[in-house]
Amino acid sequence: MSRKYVDKEELEHRIRRWAELEEEARRIRREMADWEFIEKQEPRIKEALKYYIEKGDIRRASMLAGVDLEAFRDLLRKARIPVIV
Amino acid sequence: MSVSPRIAIADTCFIIDWARYRNREIIFRVFDIVFIPEAVLREIKSGTTITWVARGLASGKLSLYTESEDEVEEARSLIIRSRRISHMIPVDLPEALCIVIGRRKGYTVLTENKGAIMATDIFDEYRDVIVWRALEILLTAQLEGVLSAECNDSSKVFKEYEEDTLHIFPRRDLIEAVNRIEQEICRQRGART
Repeated sequence: MSRKYVDKEELEHRIRRWAELEEEARRIRREMADWEFIEKQEPRIKEALKYYIEKGDIRRASMLAGVDLEAFRDLLRKARIPVIV
Repeated sequence: MSVSPRIAIADTCFIIDWARYRNREIIFRVFDIVFIPEAVLREIKSGTTITWVARGLASGKLSLYTESEDEVEEARSLIIRSRRISHMIPVDLPEALCIVIGRRKGYTVLTENKGAIMATDIFDEYRDVIVWRALEILLTAQLEGVLSAECNDSSKVFKEYEEDTLHIFPRRDLIEAVNRIEQEICRQRGART
């Protein structure tokens, strides 16, 4: 059997495990974030930072912010939002 | 007896954090060659990162990897598959290429991109790809004596990285790494004294 197709149950198990890890990371991002800094940003940046806190997806977040990946990474540092990997 | 060189390929998320780390040069003592795909190089913008990458390329410690059309095609397929799975952080071209090249060439993929790590866990044909975060590099560097482990505070090296980059290692992974430092280095030091 091709290894390309993972058993559906096993796939769901793996995704569930990642979802649990991501839930923990989301909690830490919310707790550590400098919300005062975030709320002061222009709407596009503010929403992108909030999106990152919720999803942990730096690429989509940087696209929402309209800045490149490195510039968004710097924004995360300024907003005290940790990257948890 | 010849020893195979240890070769890595690094994605953007890894490079932009690693370039800020105080001991960033140790990567060249852990790996014989570190490749950067052209797709990754195109994303690097800040002075700190460009300086480190440019110096690495100039000294030959970093090498540029020109991806083939075939590799790009496979990476695009991986991108589409990652976007079809809900709850998965999708991958984009730079990190997808690193995963594909890692699988084809046996290179260690260096990434801090959660989507990339998820992809190698979720898609079976990529499960054999070796993926390292900064955590694994710092652990290996200490186990191999490239960085000196602090037995008074076995998490010191990891904490320094976290301070420099505001990148946090998942606690359970950090505890596991610190336990290995204590068991494999500090206990031996203690036994010798």
